[in-house]
Amino acid sequence: MIRVLVAILLALAVLPATASAHPLGNFSVNHLTRVSVSSDRVDVRYVLDEAEIPTFQQRGVADAELLRRKRDEVARGLVLSVDGRRVALRPTGAGSLKHPPGQGGLETTRVELPLIATVDAPRSVTLRDGTFPGRVGWTAIVAVPGRGTAVRSSAPTSDPTDALRRYPDDVLDSPSELRTATLDVRPGAGTVEATGAMRPAATGERSAEDGLTAVFSDAADGKGVLLLLLVTAFAWGALHALSPGHGKAMVAAYLVGTRGTPRHAVALGATVTVTHTAGVFALGGVALLLSQYVLPEQLYPWLNLASGALVLLVGAAVLRSRFTATRAHAHAQHHHQNHAHEHAHSHGGATHSHAVPERFSWRGLVAMGAAAGLIPCPSALVVLLGAIAQGQIALGMLLIVAFSAGLAATLTLLGLAVVFAGRALGRLPVPRRLALALPTVSALLIVGVGVVLTVQAVPQVA
Amino acid sequence: MGTRRLFAVVLAFACALAVFAVTRGDERAAAGPPSSAGGAELRPDASTDAQVRRLQAEVRQGAPREAELAAAYLQEARESGDPGFYARADGVLRRALARGPANPAELTEAAALAAGRHDFREAERLARRARALAPDALEPLPILVDALVELGRYGEAERTLQRLVDLKPSLAAYARVSYVRELHGDLRGAIGALNLAISAGGPVRENVAYLQSLLGGLELGRGRLGAARRAFDAALVAVPDYAPAVAGRARLAARTGDLRGAIKRWRRLVARLPLPEYAIALGEAELAAGRVSAARRDLALVPVQERLLAEAGVNADVELAVYEADHGDPRRGVALARAAWAQAPGVRSADALGWALTRAGRPRAGLEWARRALRLGSVDPLFRYHAGVAAVAVARRAEGERNLRVALSHGLDALPLHANHARKELAR
Repeated sequence: MIRVLVAILLALAVLPATASAHPLGNFSVNHLTRVSVSSDRVDVRYVLDEAEIPTFQQRGVADAELLRRKRDEVARGLVLSVDGRRVALRPTGAGSLKHPPGQGGLETTRVELPLIATVDAPRSVTLRDGTFPGRVGWTAIVAVPGRGTAVRSSAPTSDPTDALRRYPDDVLDSPSELRTATLDVRPGAGTVEATGAMRPAATGERSAEDGLTAVFSDAADGKGVLLLLLVTAFAWGALHALSPGHGKAMVAAYLVGTRGTPRHAVALGATVTVTHTAGVFALGGVALLLSQYVLPEQLYPWLNLASGALVLLVGAAVLRSRFTATRAHAHAQHHHQNHAHEHAHSHGGATHSHAVPERFSWRGLVAMGAAAGLIPCPSALVVLLGAIAQGQIALGMLLIVAFSAGLAATLTLLGLAVVFAGRALGRLPVPRRLALALPTVSALLIVGVGVVLTVQAVPQVA
Repeated sequence: MGTRRLFAVVLAFACALAVFAVTRGDERAAAGPPSSAGGAELRPDASTDAQVRRLQAEVRQGAPREAELAAAYLQEARESGDPGFYARADGVLRRALARGPANPAELTEAAALAAGRHDFREAERLARRARALAPDALEPLPILVDALVELGRYGEAERTLQRLVDLKPSLAAYARVSYVRELHGDLRGAIGALNLAISAGGPVRENVAYLQSLLGGLELGRGRLGAARRAFDAALVAVPDYAPAVAGRARLAARTGDLRGAIKRWRRLVARLPLPEYAIALGEAELAAGRVSAARRDLALVPVQERLLAEAGVNADVELAVYEADHGDPRRGVALARAAWAQAPGVRSADALGWALTRAGRPRAGLEWARRALRLGSVDPLFRYHAGVAAVAVARRAEGERNLRVALSHGLDALPLHANHARKELAR
């Protein structure tokens, strides 16, 4: 209700930052994990520095209880994986908790916890610091030498903070935000080397690998959330395909028009999955790139227009092939009286490819699938962008694939239904004229859908 | 494509994602101490982050892009809640100013920083200097408008704003139009302007999320709870766990009578971002629920923040003044509010000073200041409530009841403690 537009975090704005011992202000929670990999063990030292406000927030809690809570937080949030498997970190000793004086006669909290994991000739070590999520603060991982190993670390090997006792005040550096480190280990003489020219500040935690690690470590922890989410995404995709649009009508019409087989229906479904997934990924990528200049929402109308035009083209192509086919039939009719009935059965299995060459083409099918898949599903894009925003890129991608698969499943089922219904129709004593006209009608239907999509898209673009 | 159904699907999917985020958060919260409660990480927009790093590298190599870096730092501060970025912006601008004569861009960012630190006179001065150097530049205008509004010079602010709207009807322009309309009590107009601002869009997702949170607040004031909820949720989809939107959902919960839900949301927010504003809201919600000792504990955070501010030489925060009036020492509240008024003589400071005087046993003076806070016609429920209580206290029953009714019909229920008191006053 009260607001200044430039300065959203009003009280925050006036909080002293430079004068504070904590560069991140009085409510920062800073933590640093020092890791050293030896041939038989991984030593970890977790250092926590909580500023005045978080210390005040937990007042009244006895130090022993406070230390226990911090240990629990670390046990839960600090994840060590060795050669792809999670390894338990055990505390060695109770750790220490102190209350160094802070500003305004207040105390701060400093905790140090030594931890250890027993390993055997590790090759690859990953450390993920998920403690104190969402709190502002300096977050760092530092790799130090171990015994009998030569380590290449994605995390830096030096610590500018002297274990969180002082903080750099270079105005051209952002606070460290490092929560993940990967260490490649070989036998050696106790050396450690940082890969790349990564400054602490430059190593964000938004790498796809991290997201993947997070997702899979959650999954490995037996959290059914991922599975549930994937199933939900699949189901939503399947349901989503039933909402208007999504080319159900055109897919069905296309299969009727070209007298497709179950194989075609399945191929169509697969194409939809691939194009839809690719489309969303591409759109996501483009949206991220263009987000400096264009809102993703502004891209939808153009995609709508493109897919509308594509459908229109496919419809026209099918219609044209219908006309040529009808003329061909008119000639063939004199010689093969029953031909019109024949081909409904003739092109299953291996003989399909040339049974009705003038009507069916794989190119047309792929174009159709592409058109159906290209129609943007903003929901899918929202999921992807949302996931990216949360740093869960891998999760977003997985969700999109599941979603697209659901979409395709519905379309394939529909296609199959149409194909089998078409066959049943073929066996019925349908008047020849109608049997011939039906595909033409379908082609017209595709054109109609294309026109509607295009016409709807034009005003959005304008 | 049926847009409505599409919208429903988008929302459903967003919900699925939200459920994921919440379940993850709950697992953590359930398993751990309260200090670790909270949902997913509060992270800055990846694009802002990348921009900051790029500009840091360029400035390091000697490129004269300090102003852009300072702007990116200010945005980063908004997104991360980390005040250290204000200090960085300050340092970078000092560096630029030490190098040579100030350029308009640097002055504009310095003005934005001053406004962020509540030094509105300095903000005005710097924005005007930037204007003088580059009369055609539009960037200083929004900051100038903000400064003039907070300094209580509404006519000047509105003329400047009109010029900005005429020249460039952007997100920044419409957002301020909305605020000015809100100050005049025109909530419908404010909502209309906010919708224009949102559709004008901007390069940073957080900016739009912020406007959506404001929109939710306005809809709450109009009693359109569904619209408010949609606006908050839209902000949360754009920026997960976005603090102003979480605060909005907490107010919405309180407004619908779900005090437990409101307390839960406030508690998680305070655990993550212990701003005085949020701590006060949490404490007041707990008081309304009768949880007095929990409230006392949570409200105690506020004087601590105040002490830290005072140590840093800052002694004039409107929110702290209102806090002292409500829950602390009203006379100290008066002192804080007077300092706030000296620094920013606008309606917000007038309201705070009026309320502090009323609570300090001087309702006659309090009512005068409250009237001053309402001089534009604001329907802010808190302003109206303060004015109503003051008027009733000096036996101006009709004026008091009118203001209390306006407060209650404009969303005072989002602040259940005050709503209960207002109803008691009315029933007397």
